[in-house]
Order: sequence, then C-alpha cells, then structure tokens
Amino acid sequence: MRIPQKVKKITDESKYNISFVVEEDIVFLKGKVETYEDWVDIGLKIGGIKGVNGVVNDIVWDERKDKASEDRKKRSKRSKKENLGEYDIVIIGGGIIGCSIARELSKYELDVALAEKEPDVSLGQTRANNGMVHPGIAPSKDTLKRRLNVRGNAMYGELSQELDVPFKRVGSLILITPRTMEKYRKYLPGPLYRFFLKHVLPWFVKRRGEMNGLEGIEILKGEEVFQEESGIVDDVISAVKIPSTGIVDPYEWTIAMYENAKKNDVDFYLNTEVLAFDKERGLIKRVFTDRGVLKCGHVINAAGLYSDVIAEMAGTKEFTIHPRKGVELLFNKRLEDRVHHCLAELKIPSHPTSKGGGINPTVHGNIIWGPTAEEVESKSETSVDKEEIHEIMQKYSTILPQFPESEFIRYFAGVRAASFTEDFIIRPAKKVKNLLHVAAIQSPGLASAPAIAEYSVELLKDMGVDLRRDESFDGERKSMDRVSEMSEDELKRRIEEDPSWGNIVCTCEMVSEAEIVEAIERDAESFDAIKRRTRAGMGECQESYCLLRIAEVISRELDMPLNQVKKEWKESQFFDGIVRGEEP
Amino acid sequence: MKDVVVIGGGPSGLAAASSIAEKGYKVVILERDDELGGLLQQCIHDGFGTILFDESLSGPEFADRFIEKVMRSDVPIELETYVKSVDKKDDHFELLTVTPEGVHKIKSRSIVYAIGCREKNRFEIKIGGTRPAGVYTAGTVQRLVNLYGVLPGKNPVIVGGGDVGLIVARHLYLEGVDSLFMVYPEDFFSGLPRNAQQCILDFDIPYRNRTTVKRILGDKKVEGVELVEVDEEWEMIPGTEEIYECDSLILSVGLIPYSEKIEDLGAEIDEETKGPVVNEYYGTTVDGVFSVGNLVQIFDYVDDAVKTAYIVAEGVDKFLKGIDVKRKKPIKLVPGDKIDTVTPQRIFYEEGEEVTVFFRPGVEKENAVVCLVNLGNVIKTYRKRYLRPSTLEEIKVPKDLFNGKKEVTIRVR
Ligand SMILES: Cc1cc2nc3c(=O)[nH]c(=O)nc-3n(C[C@H](O)[C@H](O)[C@H](O)COP(=O)(O)OP(=O)(O)OC[C@H]3O[C@@H](n4cnc5c(N)ncnc54)[C@H](O)[C@@H]3O)c2cc1C
Ligand SMILES: Cc1cc2nc3c(=O)[nH]c(=O)nc-3n(C[C@H](O)[C@H](O)[C@H](O)COP(=O)(O)OP(=O)(O)OC[C@H]3O[C@@H](n4cnc5c(N)ncnc54)[C@H](O)[C@@H]3O)c2cc1C
Repeated sequence: MRIPQKVKKITDESKYNISFVVEEDIVFLKGKVETYEDWVDIGLKIGGIKGVNGVVNDIVWDERKDKASEDRKKRSKRSKKENLGEYDIVIIGGGIIGCSIARELSKYELDVALAEKEPDVSLGQTRANNGMVHPGIAPSKDTLKRRLNVRGNAMYGELSQELDVPFKRVGSLILITPRTMEKYRKYLPGPLYRFFLKHVLPWFVKRRGEMNGLEGIEILKGEEVFQEESGIVDDVISAVKIPSTGIVDPYEWTIAMYENAKKNDVDFYLNTEVLAFDKERGLIKRVFTDRGVLKCGHVINAAGLYSDVIAEMAGTKEFTIHPRKGVELLFNKRLEDRVHHCLAELKIPSHPTSKGGGINPTVHGNIIWGPTAEEVESKSETSVDKEEIHEIMQKYSTILPQFPESEFIRYFAGVRAASFTEDFIIRPAKKVKNLLHVAAIQSPGLASAPAIAEYSVELLKDMGVDLRRDESFDGERKSMDRVSEMSEDELKRRIEEDPSWGNIVCTCEMVSEAEIVEAIERDAESFDAIKRRTRAGMGECQESYCLLRIAEVISRELDMPLNQVKKEWKESQFFDGIVRGEEP
Repeated sequence: MKDVVVIGGGPSGLAAASSIAEKGYKVVILERDDELGGLLQQCIHDGFGTILFDESLSGPEFADRFIEKVMRSDVPIELETYVKSVDKKDDHFELLTVTPEGVHKIKSRSIVYAIGCREKNRFEIKIGGTRPAGVYTAGTVQRLVNLYGVLPGKNPVIVGGGDVGLIVARHLYLEGVDSLFMVYPEDFFSGLPRNAQQCILDFDIPYRNRTTVKRILGDKKVEGVELVEVDEEWEMIPGTEEIYECDSLILSVGLIPYSEKIEDLGAEIDEETKGPVVNEYYGTTVDGVFSVGNLVQIFDYVDDAVKTAYIVAEGVDKFLKGIDVKRKKPIKLVPGDKIDTVTPQRIFYEEGEEVTVFFRPGVEKENAVVCLVNLGNVIKTYRKRYLRPSTLEEIKVPKDLFNGKKEVTIRVR
C-alpha cells in the first residue's frame, strides 16, 4: 500500500470526519475531533506510517480556539524596523541545538547570528531534562535519531575537554525483573518465564545494541548485577550493561557552547524573538524580530517546541509539534553514593508514549528520577502537581526499594518537542530553499547534539553555503573557577588577591561572592542565570539562605535597586514595594 | 589546639561558648554570617526571654545579652566563617574554614554544633503548580523588610498559622502591603493565642483555617494561588479548590534542623526530630561532638534552646576531663503513645540528679497524665494541665529512675 491508502485506512477507521492531503510524503490533516487526546492519537497513528515524512495536524478539537491567526497578527505588530546586521547565517533558537550549531559554524569563515527569545540560552527544553547522554540503543534502526545519537555520544568525551565541562561515562544498566514481561507471562509457563528473562532476553537487548553500532555491551546475571549497583531490588534477574552511556549538565554544556561560539565571533541576540520573514523569490532575505531586522543568507530553524511555528511563519508548514511534558524529581546530593549508573527497568511492551525514564546520577552528585510523559496542550505547561510527584516515587521505587524517596529537594518539568513521526526533522525546508529545519529534537536530543550540529553543517554545504575554515578558530573554553573544587593552596592564593573568594554566599553548595560576580561578568543578569552558572541556590535549602545575599550582589554589580532584581525575565522581578515611610 | 569549637553564633551557640569558657576552656566561635545572633536578628518583635529573664525582649535585644557576655569573655569570634570540612583524628578534630581573610586549619579536642535550623521550603511540603518569582520563606521576608526596607509584594498570601507566620503577617500589615491573606491547616492558629490576637485578630487581617495552598499560579511571577480545604489529617478535600489572586506567597510552614553536616560526621539522626540523637548532656553518637539549640529539635521558645547550651557545658567538661562514668550501654528514651518526639534520646551517665526531658505531644488534651514506662510498668507519672502539639513540654526525671533499665518510654495516658 502507498501512503495515501494507509492514511485513508486510518481516517476511515476513526469515528471522526477527517480529510487529508499527501504532498511529498507529508500528510496534511483537517477536520474536527472532540478531545485533545483524540487529536494526539490520530496524529501519532498517521505519523507511525512508514515513509511519512511529516504530519501537519490542522485538525481542531472542541475547546481549541483559532489562536494561531490571532497570535500572528499580534506578532507582526511587535516587530522593529532597525537594522541589526547582515549575516551569512541566522540561527533561530538558543537551546543546546542552536548553540551547538553556532559553535560548529564558528569554525568557518562565516558571519553567524543567533536569535533567542529568552534572556539567556538554554531556557527551553534544554533546561529541564535528565542530562543523560544516551548510548543509542533505544531508537530503531532506520531513524535519524539512531545514527545521530550513537555518533553524538561518541563525540562527548573530546568536546568536554575542549569546553571544560564535566562529562562522565557512567554506563547504564537495563534491568530485567519479573515485572519486565508481565503481560506475556501466560505464554511462558512455570520456569520458562525466568529462563527467558535470564538467558534469552538480555541477549536480544545486547544484539539490538550491537546492530545499532554499540560496543562493549555486557550481560550481567544475579550477583553480578549487585556488584555493579548494590541497592537494586532483590528480585532482579539480569541486566544489560552499556558502558558508553554518559551524564552531563545540559545547561552548563549549552552555556559553554554559547561562550565559545561568542568568543569565535558569533553574534548572540538574546531577548530577541523572531516574528516574521521577508521572502523574495522563495528565499528568506530578512528575519524580523522584536529587536530589529537581521539580513541573512541562510536560516536555521532550531526553535525547539516552536519549530513548527517558525516553519509556518516561513510558509513551509511540514510538521506539527505535540508538546509532551516530563516531570523530574531531584534528590539531595548526600544520596550520591546510592546510584552509580543510569538505571532503567525494561518493560515489554513499553508504554506507547512513556517509554524511557529511570534513575540517573548527575555530574553534581544529585540523583534524578524521571521523567513522566504526558501529552499537554500548551507548550509552556511546566507545572508539577503532588500527584505527579507521587507517580514518580511509586514508579521508580520498585527498582531501588531502599532509596529514601522522600528526600527530594526539588521537582520540575520540561516539555519535549515531539513530532508525530517521533523522529528528528533535520532537512532543508520543502518550500524555502535557504531554510534548514533542525526541528522536533526531542530525547535523545541532548545526546545527539554534537552530531546534529555536525550533520547540520554538512546539509548547509549541500544547500550551497561556502565553507572555508577559519584559521583563527579557538575551540578552547575555560569554565568558571569554583571554590568548592579548589585546593586549599589555590583558595588561599585567591583570597589573598581578592577576599570575596572567601565570602561564601551559598552555604549548601559552597559558592563564593567572587563566583557570583564572575557569572555576572559572563552575561548573567538574573538570579536564575547566576544559579545555572554557579549552582548557588541549588542545594538543600533551595535559595532560602542565599536569595537575598545574591540579590544584593546583583543589585550592586548591575547598579539597580534591590526590588528590580529579577528571577529570570523582566516580568519576574522578585520584590515589589518599599516599606512604609521610606524613600522610593 | 582548642578545647572546643562552637559552630554557630546564635543564642544557643553563644550561651554554650560563654558557659564553657567560664569553666576555663579554650573556646572559639565560628559563625557563617557577618553578625552574631542568628535568626533572632530578624525578629524585631517582642516576646523573647519571658522564661529566662522574665522580661519581654525583642530578638536582637535578647541576642545582645548573650553577645555582650561573650564579648566580655576572651572567647575569639570568627565571623563570615564557612566550615568547609571537619576531619576526625585520633584524639582531636581538624576543621578547615574559609573566610574573606583566608583558609585556616583549626584543631580542637571537641566540637559543639549550634547551627540551628532552616525553614521548610515549598518543595518540602509539595506545593504544586509553577515555579515563578514571588515565593519566599518567612525568614527571607523578615530579612528583606528589616534589613533592606523592601516588601515582598503588594498583596501576599501567608501559609502557616504558627508564631512565625503570625508575626510576619503583622509586620507586613504595618509596613504597608495593600492586602494580606493568611491560611493554615489547623482548626485554630497553632501559634501562641496572644500572638494570634495581637497579630491577626486585632488588625482584622483576613484568614482561613483548615486551608492550604495546593498550587502556585503564574509563569514568570506569582499571579495567584489555588487554595484548598483540608481535613483533620491535612488531606486536601477534592472539589474545594478556589483561586485567590495574589502577587507573592510567604511560607511559614515549620523549621527543620540543619543536620546534614553532623550526619556527614557519622552522627545518628532521629527520624522524628530530624536532629541528631543526643544524650542527657547533648553529646551526639560521635565522641567529642555535641549539639545544642534548634539543631537538636525545634524549640518553641528560644529560652528553652538556650537551656540546652547550659547543659552542654557540663557535658563538654566531663568529656574533656575524661570522666568516664558512662554506662556500658546507654539507656534509650523513646516516644510512645501520643508523643511525637523526645529529647534527649539517650541517658549516658550514671551520676547526676535529674535529667531535663523535652517532649512534643501528638495530641491536644486537657488534664493529661504523662507516664514513664519500662517493660510495661509505669515507673513515674506527671500531670499536665493542657497538652497540644504546638507546645513543647518539659519534665524533670530523677536520674536513679533509669538504673537497671534498657529503655524507657514516654506516653500520654
Ligand atoms: C523531561 C525531559 C527529559 C529529557 N531527557 C533527555 C535526556 O536525558 N537525554 C537527551 O538526550 N535528551 C533528553 N531530552 C530531550 C532534550 O532536552 C532536547 O532534545 C533538547 O534540549 C533539544 O534542544 P533544542 O535546542 O532543540 O530545543 P530548546 O532547548 O527548546 O531550544 C529552542 C529554543 O528556541 C527558542 N525559540 C523558540 N521560538 C523562538 C523564536 N520565535 N525566536 C527566537 N527564539 C525562539 C526557545 O526559546 C528555545 O530556547 C529530554 C527532554 C525533556 C523535556
Ligand atoms: C522569625 C521568628 C520569630 C520568632 N518569634 C518568637 C517569639 O516571639 N517568641 C519566642 O519565644 N520564640 C520565637 N521564635 C521561635 C519560634 O517560636 C519557634 O521556633 C516556633 O514555634 C516554630 O515556628 P512556627 O511556629 O512558625 O512553626 P511551627 O510551630 O512548626 O508551625 C508551622 C506552621 O506551618 C503550617 N504548616 C506546616 N505544614 C504545612 C503544610 N503542609 N501546609 C500548610 N501549612 C503548613 C502550620 O500552620 C503550622 O502551624 C521565633 C522564631 C523565628 C524564626
């Protein structure tokens, strides 16, 4: 069957009246459904058809108003006329993908600009994830995800040296327990079930990894599992150990990319939202933003959750993003010794959308549990409710029954930019020849990021960008100095030069005033931007001790009144109002 | 080599330092902040010292009494001092401190931890919703208003009807917020009745009991909260949610001991108090390491916290003199029926006349009988006119009562 017949079969089976068009293997859906779940469901079914290259889901569901066109009008009103500059390449989006591409492009003789709507890089999906550099065993064989994940993972080691960002190859354990194939138990009577889980299934998993190009995979049985990780549930039957799995701090990594790209002359426009394009003969000539106009040769769409909006803005609608929220629980650093690998319990069949997730160590010593997976209507839905916290506690405590699951210090959520085809969309836009989509980068986007950047540059070359090496490129970047990691002598020396190295403002994470000042020098203007760069406020007390102390340093360094210090955005000033009787 | 390092310059640390110094030992006080006095410096309202001095002092006034005493002694005070690490050697401890003056090693034969407690934050009580600007603990707000003259917002909601919440409410009301709303999960304010009267009722500040905050609303800045009613067990009652608009949320939902550091040293922690397990002289389960004040448990009155400091001086003295009349096995003191916490949790020494025992009731009860029980037998009883969970109780137990026993339970009849 060809694509249209397959799509027709699905729409015919649906209880709704759905019409469709297929163009260049992209399916455009129209119609009306009752609920958001149905909207997602039908999109996923069509996206699952082999050969489909994108699903544009213009089906409306009952509650949805046609907000898009409303927004579009408002958007163009906000655009500013001033000329910001002329660039060979304009990147839209300052997540890990946009920043990695920016740094990759800074190796060439090109004028590159990056526009990011938020006040700092890494504020989208990149801020809220597991920090796991997956090995590449999960994605199926023919996907972009598989190829870029395996390659990206391999690139992390060297890059982490250049960028001076901690990266640890901790390895992962895929755990096989009596619960692994509960659904199929009835087909494997008596001792057969255990036998299968101990001697057959691990071998399948290993084989899959090897087919995806992974090396060094080991099968562990019984006691061997506990030798690797002592806290694991007693009834674990076997495990597959993948040595290449790593962990990284995603925003630290992205900030490092940003700093190094900037050093190599990429112009970053933060607080700059792309609102519209000016096209001539099918090519984008100018990018309109709320800060001004960027003239451009080529444009890269790395706008994450909003990459479908950018595609539509450019007149080349080819996919729709369906946001999928994931909640994470973060634990006290003191539990660091409890978990050494990335851990996940294998479940077959895997839950259709909540696959993945588990227990991971982080490079800073906090253990992280999660994420959940929930389809949400809004791209900015990152709230977390008590029920979700309990869901995670329940789900993962089966793997580590002794872990004190109530000792979390924080919870947060991120929203994945999932497409209905559930693969990355990295290709020149169908209708705009100088626009490259690097879109729908959901998990394992972090793990794949270095390879995605490399691949994007290859594609740009095919699109006609002239790539000449810039001999002056300097890929080395120095991380901030941290008092918590300094030797006694080093710290003594620093304090002699500048006593503020000895003024510890965040006592949970041991961060000095000097580090706060350095973060500000490295472009941080808000409390949270400083937090991401220094870890101040990330410890057990969650800012209660350091908030005012740091706010005071910000107020002094940036010369602003204390009540104008902000948490993140200009709309998120901390305090409001002056005590009665005091001068404003 | 010092005899004692006292970590923490709040009231209990100060009191401990001066009492130990009076016995002729070489003591030093380390404090992370740039002034002494601890939490009290933020509490510019009256109500401190009613037990100890029979006067109603403000927080700083109360603290000053202890600061002056230390100043008059020859105890050195190291401010802005962060203790980076503590290593236990054979017969002493080695501390590494970081200050704006440099990095220093301090050797000492013993340590008294008096680092107090911290306020619970929104994550610890699992408030749902978003994570915008505008959510503060009461302590932060007190500091903000007193030290900087800045308000947290124009129409805050306060969660928690304990003394801290009540006092912050009055403070903000007087300092000029436009409106204010308090919610708390109990039936009636859990703070002192006089505080409820003088802070909320006298000013007609609106409040709601049996209510808590379920979710925080607003992406960048607090725009409101979702309130919900709760039952006696503090479980939310579905269907009673209601949105309340506000621009900030202030949490005064309890304090917990700062026991991380002491746990890292190997001290056993009590699940109930969340502080270290201590003996009758406030020694922890690590020899030579003591703990006083709110680090041991949260005291309702600073006066009681200071009492522990006087007692620890005796314990440190015994330890430094090497007086070893310890029992082979310490006797355990454990909370039984209708009792939430008991301190001290261990009775170590045979000599001495009586032990001051603090306990927190798990119930509200008039004319209660508190019993000490060993192997099912009541060995002593105390009458208490009125018990309630928000008030820490104190009893004196004759030492000889413990002779020959392994464990004594305290319970309410
Ligand atoms: C809960 C969760 C857990 C995850 N765990 C992992 C993991 O363990 N390992 C892994 O490999 N991956 C993981 N991922 C996936 C990973 O986080 C993403 O793949 C990755 O961050 C994608 O980066 P990005 O740069 O494409 O997107 P983003 O970080 O979302 O960046 C896009 C940027 O574009 C900006 N933007 C959008 N529109 C405009 C505009 N009009 N003008 C200007 N700027 C604009 C946005 O503000 C944003 O900063 C996880 C994701 C989630 C949500
Ligand atoms: C700023 C400050 C002022 C002080 N003032 C005095 C003083 O005047 N005199 C004096 O002797 N001592 C004072 N002290 C010491 C103090 O009285 C005790 O330490 C104290 O009783 C503990 O504070 P609290 O009453 O707020 O907490 P608690 O007694 O623990 O009460 C916390 C309250 O939080 C609420 N709560 C808890 N959990 C939740 C939840 N999940 N959801 C919603 N609400 C919840 C409840 O209302 C509960 O009553 C002060 C201490 C500080 C830090």
